[in-house]
Amino acid sequence: MAALLEIHDLAVYYGAIQALKAVTITVEPGEIVTLIGSNGAGKTTSLRCISRLINPRAGDIIYDGVSLLRRRPDEVVRQGIAHVPEGRRILSRLSVQDNLRLGAYSRHDRAAVRGDLDEQYVRFPILAQRRSQLAGTLSGGEQQMLAIARALMSRPRLLLLDEPSLGLAPIIVRDIFRIIRTLNAEGVTVLLVEQNAQLALQTAHRGYVLETGEVIFAGAAAQLIDDERVKKAYLG
Amino acid sequence: MNLTAGFQIIVNGMATGGVYAIFALGYTLVFSILGIINFAHSAVFTLGAYFTYALLGSQFGFNGLLARGRLPFGLSFPLALLGGAILAGLVAVMVERLAFRPLRKRGADPLLMLVSSLGVAVAIVNIIQYLFGAEPYTFPNILGGLPGSVNLGTPGTPLVARTVQLLIAGVSLVILALLTVYINYTNTGKALRAVAEDATTASLLGINTDRLVLLTFFLSGFIGGIAGTLVGLSVGITGPYFGIAFGLKGLSVIILGGLGSIPGAVLGGIVIGIGENLVPAEHVGYKDAVAFALLFIVLLVRPQGLLGRTQIQKV
Repeated sequence: MAALLEIHDLAVYYGAIQALKAVTITVEPGEIVTLIGSNGAGKTTSLRCISRLINPRAGDIIYDGVSLLRRRPDEVVRQGIAHVPEGRRILSRLSVQDNLRLGAYSRHDRAAVRGDLDEQYVRFPILAQRRSQLAGTLSGGEQQMLAIARALMSRPRLLLLDEPSLGLAPIIVRDIFRIIRTLNAEGVTVLLVEQNAQLALQTAHRGYVLETGEVIFAGAAAQLIDDERVKKAYLG
Repeated sequence: MNLTAGFQIIVNGMATGGVYAIFALGYTLVFSILGIINFAHSAVFTLGAYFTYALLGSQFGFNGLLARGRLPFGLSFPLALLGGAILAGLVAVMVERLAFRPLRKRGADPLLMLVSSLGVAVAIVNIIQYLFGAEPYTFPNILGGLPGSVNLGTPGTPLVARTVQLLIAGVSLVILALLTVYINYTNTGKALRAVAEDATTASLLGINTDRLVLLTFFLSGFIGGIAGTLVGLSVGITGPYFGIAFGLKGLSVIILGGLGSIPGAVLGGIVIGIGENLVPAEHVGYKDAVAFALLFIVLLVRPQGLLGRTQIQKV
């Protein structure tokens, strides 16, 4: 089967500092793939390259057979990739409902957008209760749910999730990961960046371990979780 | 003070304040998206007045390149106002492409954009002087058969207002209302607010931020052009530097109201407009002093302006 996303030899520099060195990652349709590694390993940088927020110096990103490198971030969304950024980045001065509607900004099928809006309210009942509240007044967990629901409003084939567990209570994290598995079961391919390696590897099919901008291990999640080196470095 | 005098203060205050408000909103729109003051806005304001003047089919002055010329046609005032505003909006779009975008794309310091916008302002003012000459222009009577003033009271207790002032107040209020609806209730308006809050996130939602920046400049120029025409109607176009003094007033309006706040710009405009019109006619020279004193006092008490946020937060 052709990969949905192929990242080849990606190299990124911030000024003189090299953030990514020849990173190669593939994501097959229907998978949950996770990138784990410590702070500064290049996980977020990889996602930001895919959604075209940063320009790599070398390498290529092929999505659905076509390079993304000539596209703008808004065009990437139209291609079916939604990015839930680190820190959630909800629009705090807009209502919950307006945040969701803007998630569908690239779509023009109004009736279907309304249907999807209702679907998010079913999936995340707490958002239905808060629909007319300013998004900035939501709790951290609610904001994370809003960020995911907003991304789903573009009907993505590939969902990029950056640290969805960051700063959330364990019980909320469990909810969020349950939702990620459900979405995947419904057919959304997921590329998940996580600091919580244990949880990420339990959720994903395959994983890549990044260290200072390089992939040092890759394999099935079940293998990585038992790998002594991965255990020692990332699973405590 | 009799009733008519009080009424006139309110009508004139609304007319002046409404124009201040829509002019200041041009600064506010760009500021909330790019975080900079666009100094070319006052020059676009001036251009708007000249464009409308030209579209009315009126004759140009005596010492510019276009001396004694006129367009081969003349539009009615509403169409000329609209046309002047659209042309001013297109000039603002050019300003974005030439003075802002190249710097933005290189991640330049916002201060550099401020300087480049000042450069564009000087260039536009000089082009105006070259084309239209340095002399003041007076708008033709656009009221047609309407009387110069109307009595809104009864013959016993007259409430007289100049028709032009009523027109200016009316047009300003309509523009303010349309803009408010556009920004708060349309999809594009919401996208504009998203870009204002966090442009990176907006782009991740599929919003073409460059296009919305252009739209912002167009809107800013459009309402700036309308403000220029309205002030021109009220006091005439005083020359190519018409917008400079007005520009300072516009800056004090947005700072008074709270930088980046749309309701703040409206409130600031109306406060300063009414404040200025409270100055008795025999002391009219102190009008500007009142505006800046108001600004000074408010800043002492509320440094963030009347409706400004305490802090601009960017996470």
